[in-house]
Amino acid sequence: MPQLNPEFFVSQLFWLAVFFTFLFVFLWRVSLPRIATVLEKRQNKIDENLSSAKELQEQAVEIEKKINDQINKAKLETDEKIKETINALQENVSSQLSSLDKDLEKKVSDAEKEILKSKDDQMKNINNEIVNITKLTVGKITDIELSDNELNKVIETHKGNFN
Amino acid sequence: MAAKDSPLKQFEIDPISNIELGGYNISFTNSSFAMLITVLMITLFLTLTVNTRSIIPSRMQLISELMYNFIAQLLSDTVGDNGKRYFPFVFSLFMFVLIGNMVGMIPYQFTFTSHIIVTFALAAVVFIGVTILGFINHGIKFFTFFYIPGVPFYMHPLLIPIEVISYLSRPISLSVRLFANMLAGHTLLKVFAGFVVSMPFFTGVFPLAFIVALTGLEILIAFLQAYVFAILTCLYINDAYHLH
Repeated sequence: MPQLNPEFFVSQLFWLAVFFTFLFVFLWRVSLPRIATVLEKRQNKIDENLSSAKELQEQAVEIEKKINDQINKAKLETDEKIKETINALQENVSSQLSSLDKDLEKKVSDAEKEILKSKDDQMKNINNEIVNITKLTVGKITDIELSDNELNKVIETHKGNFN
Repeated sequence: MAAKDSPLKQFEIDPISNIELGGYNISFTNSSFAMLITVLMITLFLTLTVNTRSIIPSRMQLISELMYNFIAQLLSDTVGDNGKRYFPFVFSLFMFVLIGNMVGMIPYQFTFTSHIIVTFALAAVVFIGVTILGFINHGIKFFTFFYIPGVPFYMHPLLIPIEVISYLSRPISLSVRLFANMLAGHTLLKVFAGFVVSMPFFTGVFPLAFIVALTGLEILIAFLQAYVFAILTCLYINDAYHLH
């Protein structure tokens, strides 16, 4: 078996030492640091992207919150405005209604007064007419001339029968 | 079968240029050439593919990164945070054995991992390094590694020698595992290749088909043995940190 022939043992060991040492030193000093930097760079990039994504997400959440706040605020404001307007309108209506009521009351009372006045006038006229008619009738039938005062007395006593 | 057709002929070392240093024969041989090719392939591939250092890797860069992550994961799984500083060594070891095995799969190419002296030297480096590491970390207490707690006291005279022997046989098992796998695989391929030529008529296609299947298996084994070599190294490093 050629493997057990010691003729080239020293040569094998020598060249193994040379090449393996070279390989080890080269990989240790050149190749592996290169690969390590590439991997590190990539990891950094990934981390960076992840953190920026997280930041953006946080910002988005904040913006959403702001929007919601503003919407709520706007809602509250409009609600208040609507209430104010309703109140103002109600006040307006009630004041107008009360003024109308007053007007109407005044008109009604005026009308009542006028009616009463005209009623009194009419009653007075009727009295006069009754006196006149009675005077004429009595004068024609008899020759008794009645004074106005006497007639008025009689009418007053019988007034309850007219109405 | 003539000697020149022997299945073991492929393991013979041929000097390419004869060099002598201090009375020792350090000829540059076909084995050294295979190592040179292996080292060149690894260094060039790992350097050139990562040259652009792009964040979005090319396919080739991705392969380099995959290998890097594969061994880094292996180390962190077995040793933990302590293992980071041994990463260059374990990675070099893994790549050297893996590409050495793969270079050996090229027809007519020499497989240096099929030589016990080479695998033993690698295993010895691991063994000596790990032992020194154990003494650095634990001092004289490292010897308690051979003492198994929770065993009846009368068993210790039996168990401690067993533990010592198993510890000392680590470099042998580590190197012979790799060497024997490579030797057996390549010998088997060669034997069946001999059948292809020597069998009559067209029956030679059967061993040929077998060779094709076996080549796939051998590539798997080439990877597996490099992986086993690396993971055992990791486990030994872990032992040097954590005694029982």
